[in-house]
This record gives sequence, C-alpha cells and structure tokens, in this order.
Amino acid sequence: MATLWRAVSSSVGTKVVIALSGLALFAYLILHLIGNLFIFLGPAALNGWGHTLISNPLVVPAEIGLLLIFLIHVYKAALNWWDNRHARPTSYAEKKWAHHTSRKNVGSTTMIWTGALILLFVAIHVSAFKYGAFYEPPAWEPGVRDLYGLVVHTFLNPLWAGFYVACLVLAGVHLRHGIASSFQSLGADGPRFTPAIMLIGYLLAVVIAAGFAFIPVWVYFRLG
Amino acid sequence: MTLDAKIPSGPIQEKWDRHRFDSKLVNPANKRKYTVIIVGTGLAGASAAASLGELGYNVMSFCIHDSPRRAHSIAAQGGINAAKNYQNDGDSIYRLFYDTVKGGDYRAREANVYRLAQVSVNIIDQCVAQGVPFAREYGGLLDNRSFGGAQVSRTFYARGQTGQQLLIGAYQSMMRQVEAGTVTIFPNREMLDLVVVDGRACGIVCRNLITGAIERYAAHAVLLATGGYGTAYYLSTNAVNSNVTAAWRCHKRGALFANPCFTQIHPTCIPLSGDHQSKLTLMSESLRNDGRVWVPTKKGDKRPPSQIPEAERDYYLERRYPSFGNLVPRDVASRAAKAVCDDGQGVGVTGFSVYLDFADAIQRLGRDVITERYGNLFDMYKRITDEDPYQVPMRIYPAVHYAMGGLWVDYNLMSNLPGLHVLGEANFSDHGANRLGASALMQGLADGYFVIPYTLGHYLASGGLAPVSTDHDAFAQAADSVQKRIDRLLQVKGKETPRQLHRRLGAVLWDEVGMGRNEAGLTRAIARIPQLREEFWQNVSVPGTPDNLNKNLEYAGRVADYLEFAELLAIDALHRTESCGGHFREESQTPEGEAKRDDEHFSYVAAWEFSGVDQPPVLHQEPLEFEYCKPSQRSYK
Amino acid sequence: MEKMTIHLRVWRQAGPNAPGRLVPYTVENVIPDMSFLEMLDVLNEELIAKGEDPVAFDSDCREGICGTCGLVINGIPHGPDRGATVCQLHMRRYKHGDTITIEPWRARAFPLIKDLVVDRSAFDRLIQASGYTSINVGGAPDANAVLIPKDKAERSMDAAACIGCGACVAACKNASAILFVSAKVAHLGMLPQGQVEHKHRVVKMIDRMDDLGFGSCSNEGECEAVCPKEIKLANIAYLNRSYLTARFFGGL
Repeated sequence: MATLWRAVSSSVGTKVVIALSGLALFAYLILHLIGNLFIFLGPAALNGWGHTLISNPLVVPAEIGLLLIFLIHVYKAALNWWDNRHARPTSYAEKKWAHHTSRKNVGSTTMIWTGALILLFVAIHVSAFKYGAFYEPPAWEPGVRDLYGLVVHTFLNPLWAGFYVACLVLAGVHLRHGIASSFQSLGADGPRFTPAIMLIGYLLAVVIAAGFAFIPVWVYFRLG
Repeated sequence: MTLDAKIPSGPIQEKWDRHRFDSKLVNPANKRKYTVIIVGTGLAGASAAASLGELGYNVMSFCIHDSPRRAHSIAAQGGINAAKNYQNDGDSIYRLFYDTVKGGDYRAREANVYRLAQVSVNIIDQCVAQGVPFAREYGGLLDNRSFGGAQVSRTFYARGQTGQQLLIGAYQSMMRQVEAGTVTIFPNREMLDLVVVDGRACGIVCRNLITGAIERYAAHAVLLATGGYGTAYYLSTNAVNSNVTAAWRCHKRGALFANPCFTQIHPTCIPLSGDHQSKLTLMSESLRNDGRVWVPTKKGDKRPPSQIPEAERDYYLERRYPSFGNLVPRDVASRAAKAVCDDGQGVGVTGFSVYLDFADAIQRLGRDVITERYGNLFDMYKRITDEDPYQVPMRIYPAVHYAMGGLWVDYNLMSNLPGLHVLGEANFSDHGANRLGASALMQGLADGYFVIPYTLGHYLASGGLAPVSTDHDAFAQAADSVQKRIDRLLQVKGKETPRQLHRRLGAVLWDEVGMGRNEAGLTRAIARIPQLREEFWQNVSVPGTPDNLNKNLEYAGRVADYLEFAELLAIDALHRTESCGGHFREESQTPEGEAKRDDEHFSYVAAWEFSGVDQPPVLHQEPLEFEYCKPSQRSYK
Repeated sequence: MEKMTIHLRVWRQAGPNAPGRLVPYTVENVIPDMSFLEMLDVLNEELIAKGEDPVAFDSDCREGICGTCGLVINGIPHGPDRGATVCQLHMRRYKHGDTITIEPWRARAFPLIKDLVVDRSAFDRLIQASGYTSINVGGAPDANAVLIPKDKAERSMDAAACIGCGACVAACKNASAILFVSAKVAHLGMLPQGQVEHKHRVVKMIDRMDDLGFGSCSNEGECEAVCPKEIKLANIAYLNRSYLTARFFGGL
C-alpha cells in the first residue's frame, strides 16, 4: 500500500493519475453526449432515456464513482499545478513559446484555468439540471421527469444558452491538450502513432465541445 | 638529478605483467584510510576517480567546471583506437604499439606505449559494459573504421561524439562512487598550488570559484589530470577554460616539464574570421578522404573559387606528395598549408586559409553519398561560416590541437616528485612528438582505468606516508602565496584586459613557435615573452573582488601562467634543433622540405626543471632506447 | 564587412540573494560572423577596460558539445536557432539596431550564482541516483560478447547525445528535468547492459528528481523544441511506461 502511495504521489505517478481520471471523465462525456442526442428524437425519447437511467439501482454507485474520479482529477491537478509553480520561484522577464516541434498551445498553457472554470460550470450545471426544477410530467407518463421541458425552458433564455456555449468552448480547449497529453503521460508515444493521437485528440475535443454546444444553440434558434 | 623511468626488465610483452606482480598491494581493509586527490575530471581524471573509488580509496575529485561532465575530453569527435582486431585485418597489440611509436616519430618510451596498446582492448570492454553506445553493424557487432591514415580498422566510435560518450561513461561510473560515498566531488575549484612536504606531494590549494575562498586539501597522493596547454596559443581547438595552471604550479614546485615544444597542429579547422574570434573549431580529418586541397596559383588572387579555372589552381598536396596526396599526416598537411599562405596564395578575407573542395567528389559520388558521409560536418561548417560547402569549397586552416608534451612521469605515471602522479594529456608519456588520431582517448582511459590503480597502490603500500595536516606550514605557505598572487592581480588596475594580453602572447607563439620554427624566430620569442609578462603585471585590468565568482580574475591568473610557461615552450623548441613530429625546425629538413630527425643528438626526453621566473630552466635528459621499433625516416612521397 | 550596433538587456545580479535587474548595454562594431558569446566577450572587454565588473556567463568548448553555456535569449533558451547551443548562434541572425534580452536559466533546482550563471549540480545528483551501470573496472566481458541490434544502439545513441545543458528545464513551464532523466533512462535502457538495473534506475531517478525540486511534465514539448541535441519527447513516454511497469509489475 505504501508502495502504491509512493507510486501515485511521484511526479510521474501524479500525471498518470491525472491522465487516467481525465480519460475516464472523457469517456463519461461521450456517454453523456450520446444520451443528449435523444433530444433530437423528441420529448418522449429524452425523458424515457433519463427515466431508464435513474431507475437503474446502479446509478447511485456509478454517480459516486464518477464524483470520486472527478474529485481525484481536480485534487491531483490542483496539487500538481501548485507544486509546479514552486519549481520556478523567479519568473522570466521575457519568455516566448519555442514553437518548432513544441506541442504547446492555448489549451496546454491554460489547463488549470480552463479546469477551474469547468469545475464551476459543472457545479452550476448539476444544480441547474440534476437538482433543477422538476417539471410536471405529461399526463401519459406518470412519475417521469420532463427533462425535455427543462432543457428547452433553460436554453430559450439567451443568457443560459450563451453561458453554456462559452463553457463548452472552454471544455474543448481543455480537452484539446488533455486527450493527447493523457496518452503521453501513460507512455504512449512513438514516431508512428503520435501524430495520429495528436490529431484524433484534437478532433475529439472539437466533436465533444461542438456536440454539446449544439444543443443550446439548436434549442435557442430552432425552438425559440 | 637522474631521471629513472623505472621501466621493468624483460621482454616488452611481459613488462607490464611482471610489473603488476612485483607491485605491492594495499590491504582491502586499509584502502579507505588512504586519501587520493584527483585534479581534473576528463577521461583520465574521471576514470581514475571511478576505478580508485571502486577499489575503496577515499577519493577527492576536483574540477574547474560546474560539473565533472564538462571536461574537454567531450569534444573529441573521431574515435578511440584499440587493438581488438575485430575486423581480422591484421591488427595486433604489437602493430598498435609499433604504429604509435612510429607515428610519434620515435620520441616516446617504448615500454609505456606497449602497455597502452595492451590495455587498449580492456578499455573497449569496459566502456561497452558501461553502456557507451558505440556504432554497430547490422549483425550487432561493434563497427570499426580506419582513421588518420591507419592501414587497419581499429577505431571504435559513437557518431561524431566519441569523446562525449566515453566521458559520460567514466563520469557515470564516478557518480556511482559519489553515491557510494567513496568519491567526493569538488566542482568549481581551481587548483592553484601543489603542497610538497619533505619532497612528497601531499595536498593542494584551490580557489573556490564561487565563493573565492582559498581552500586546502591534504591527501596521501595527488593525481593531476588537467589536460594540455594548447590554449597558451590563445586560439586553439581547446575549450576556452582549458589551461596550464595546475601543471605549471606543479612544475614550479619541482615537477619536471617534458618536451613542451611537442604540440600538435591539426590541419582541418575552420579558419579565423577576425580579431573577435575566441576559439577555433576542428572538423574531422576524415574530410580529407574526399576533399581536394588547393589554392590559386596566382598570389593574391581575389576571384571567387568558381571563377578560377582548373589550370590556375595549385593542388599542392597532390603535387608535392603524389602517393599520399591529400591524406598526408597532420603535421605535413598543416605545414604545407602554412607554406602556401605565407607565400601569398592563401584565400579568404585574412588570406590565411586554403580550399578543401568537394566538387569532384560530389560529381563522382553524388551529393547523397557526400551528405551521408559528411552531412553533419557540412552543417557545422555552414552554421559557423554561413557558406554552403556543397556550393563553394570549404576554407580550412591548421590550428593548435593537442599537447604531446607535459609533466615528466616514470613508468608508474609518477612525476619526479613522489606522490604526484600525472595522467592523460597532462603527462608527456605516450605520444612522442606527434599523436595519431583516436589515440588521445585511448591514453586517457588507459591511464585512469588500468594503469593508475596498480601503480598508485604500489606507491601507497610502499609505506612511509605519514599523514600531513592542512595546518602544516607548507599548506599555510602555499595558501599564502596563492592569496598574494590574487591580491597582486587585483592591485594592478591597469588598462589592458587579460584577453588582449593573451591574444598578443598567442600571436607570438603562433608566429614563432607554431608550425615552422627557426632559431631567429625562437630567439625573438624568448626575448618578447618576458616583455609581455612585464606588461601584464604593469597593465592588466582585473575589476571586481576576489570573494565571489570572478571569471576575469580566474582568466587573468591563467594568462599569467601562460606568460611564464610560453617561455619554456620556446626554450625547449630552440634547444631541440632537430625536426620531429609536430616540432619542425626549418634548419633541419630534407632537400624536399620534409622534417629531418637527428637521432644521434636528440633521442631523449627533454625534462626541464624550474629555477625561478626569469631564470633559465635546467635541462635533464632521459635517453630513449628503441629495442623493438627501429627509427626510420618518415616519407610520404 | 558591415558592422552592427546591438542593444542588450542583460540580467545582472551580484549574488544568489542580491536583487537582480535587466541592465541595458549597447555593443558597437558587431560583426555578423561573430558568435553570440564573442559578442558578449566584446561587451566584457569594454567593461573590463573601463574597470567595471564584466557580465558573468558560462561557456567552455564553444562548439556546442560541452553543455556549459546556456542563456535565455529573447525568451527562448539557447536562442532562435534549432538544434544549437548559444555558442553556436551567430550574430548574422540579428540586424543593426536590434534589442536582445538575455536572462539566465530559471528554476528552483538551478539556483542563480551570479548574473547569467546558475548552479546545475542538481543534474549531477540525478545521475548519481542510478544514472549508470554498476560495473566495476576489470570484470567486463568481451565487448562483442553481447550482440546489440543496430537500431537499438542508434536509439540509445540518440538519447545519449544529451549534453546536460539544462535548456529543457529552462524552457519547461514547470522547470521539470524529465527530458534529461528520460534521456538517461532511454540511453541505458535501450542496451542490454543497462537493462539489468533498468527498473531500479527509473524509480530512483524519478524519486531524486522530485526531491530536487524540479516540476512535473506537462507534455508540452517545449523541452524538445529547444534541446540543442534534439532529444525526443518519446523518451519521456518511454520513461513513463518504464516507471509504471516498475512500480506496478516490477515489485518496486
């Protein structure tokens, strides 16, 4: 146990934990996005999907697990950022990006800040939807929560829609570095597949961010 | 003083074995009670620290750099020789021995060279076990190449970084001992005096280059591995911090300096571009395998090379040495370049360079082959000169590269001062008057890994080494003289920088004690150097204080030592009226203009004893006997 | 040959605890063929002649192999040229009237000594933590006793080319030494001789790196981009793999 603790507290171990938890959260995002797509099939489909999910007895343990992964990711990342700040007590008067072969990008330089904003967003998001207003279910679906109605109602407000789009762009920026970087932390880097990982990581970041952001946009412009 | 080289008796093949058996051993339990100081962490110093640490001695390792890994051994590009005969091409220990003695123009000690060839095979084994990534063939065996005109392929290499890789191997082994607690490293220390008590070397005085503190260290033996003195010439291929100070201070304490006039000048360096130049960069001499050396026939021809027709080009090496052509040995190629430039045929802004032209080779072999063979060298050349050698011929000129001379040592690598051992380039022992390519790395590691562990043990086990405390008067006196000298440097407060004075000394040495030397020039140099020394002490400017990092103060101290050492260099060159190896006396040449040795009068090691600044040094001779390699005149016609 | 005037802003700091600042200097008569360090030599010659303390900076071989020199030039360690150290940078890169900012490496593990000189002995302590093979002199088998595939030897050599200059640390936003460590781990790990202690080496070197106050890796690759020997980021992934294997399956 002590060995395991040493392993995960070292600099390399820390990055591995961040990478693994990050990839797990990313996997959850994909599932979440797939679920969201039910919205395009109409109220019945979305509400049914939601109902199926929360009716499953495993949902609570799964949620606790997800929360733990999320907290570990946040905790390790924040600690890592704090330690790294101390590795250079005096900063440069002038520092430029090296470019050339460097993978440094807007995402990689702002991970802690995009991460912090995402944390804030997740809190708002969960309180707004999971613990948000409970719309009366339609008469033919007793006991089912009208998620569809909640979504539509929320995103018809331009402020909410705009806020979501902005936060999802931030999430995309976070993932732009995060996905590919996780593979590097886990030791996957080689001349043949690294360019592919970099590209796929970039594309997935765009797909996730655009996929989620499409819903508020769609609601606002098409249902408004 | 009689110089006893302590060469073991018996046939040359058995000398080292017998000597090892005859040497006394230190009881394993007693080794940690012996403290050994090693100054310098190049191949010789680092390998000695590692091997002595492994044996259990208490080792203190000093270097002027911020890390032991920076020593200038790292810059060696070409490779390291070893008589492995992996290529089945006729190599043997005896052949490596013979080639080295002959290459040194019969001015090296046979017994030392034979031992060097013997242990060369162990060096490669050791380095491979350390993880030195030598070049390999597809079958997984080590690759070899022929180097410096050798007729067998005995050179092992790691890209163009052989010295770097070998040094990292030695450095890592040494750091392993640091972790084990047997070796303590003292980086950023400059040895400024040797402490001698009752005729024995028993400690050193250093300046801590960061704090300026004058520190004293006592030991049972002192090993000096501080490299060569090429930087006395100001411009050389040596690192800018390489210096003669430690060796010179030992000399001033009584250690004899042997054959200082044997300096090697390397023919393929990137030429000087102006006064600002701080060092010269060497390019591997493998370039001469495919490049053709030429100058315009007409003096002062300023046309670009592409506009000079074939008929107006003088391929002087091919003309003068039809059978060896562009592949004549280093000293011959260097002198020929100087001769044509002195005649006014030189090219470039300064007129002191010759063309090394790859146009024919590119046409014959194609650009790809040339890129494969020399791509990194071409890139390096372009980076420095901003000229593309694929388009215009390279310009090259000789530069001071290696010091064959150094402190005198016996077969045990011990100087005439008991306890003071000298390793690697800092000693004079193995290369005679000229060093063959890829032999410097071999010697450094041979001395450190395979010679000194035995001979030092014998010295320590021979007894009578009462411990000396750093409170001893001799330490106080040495520390005091070091301090006074530093104070004196700071007090001059003159107008000239150490660099300006160094540059002027370098010009004198290069002109008069360079590739071609003659009596008139050497006499001029011997008159001029004391004047420069005088100017230095009257007019040097060393701002700042002694109690912190003051690189200019360090440098000024080194220049002051060059100014003393250079005189000895010129005196030695004047006294040796023969030509041999890197020492070319214009008075002693064949009718064809080749170096002519005088074995009857000069078959000896000239070991000089210090008798005071401004006092003539005293010459001691160690006669050289050649039982196995009979001296012959070199010919490259 | 044309001569240039170059304006400099040089970090001057008398000692580790003294306050430091960027001091402006102007160097006249700079020749394009000069190396960057020779330009600084010219500045120092002027300062010494005036009796002022010259700018302290490290350099030794001046041909890009010893790893002694290292300056952050206009925000980039070793300056704008790729695969080159400061001593290989030439003034033809700049034009008349340019202003150049020069700073030292900055990292907690590389404390400043004076002006542009920092203490990089932390790298020695990293090597001390198992950056070697535990082979005593004398017992080595014949050099050809173990065959090594050429590609492995080449990959080892690629990593072994590291000169220990510290530019990777200087460039990294976290001042991490992981490229340096990974180069050593890959150099030795690619060879059968180094494999013997591989897992112990990886763990010890990472532990030491953390103890010395270097940061962790953010996978940005600034280190690779400024490395004068172009040591690849793939070495870090190899290190991470090796570390995971050693810790979770190697019993360490």
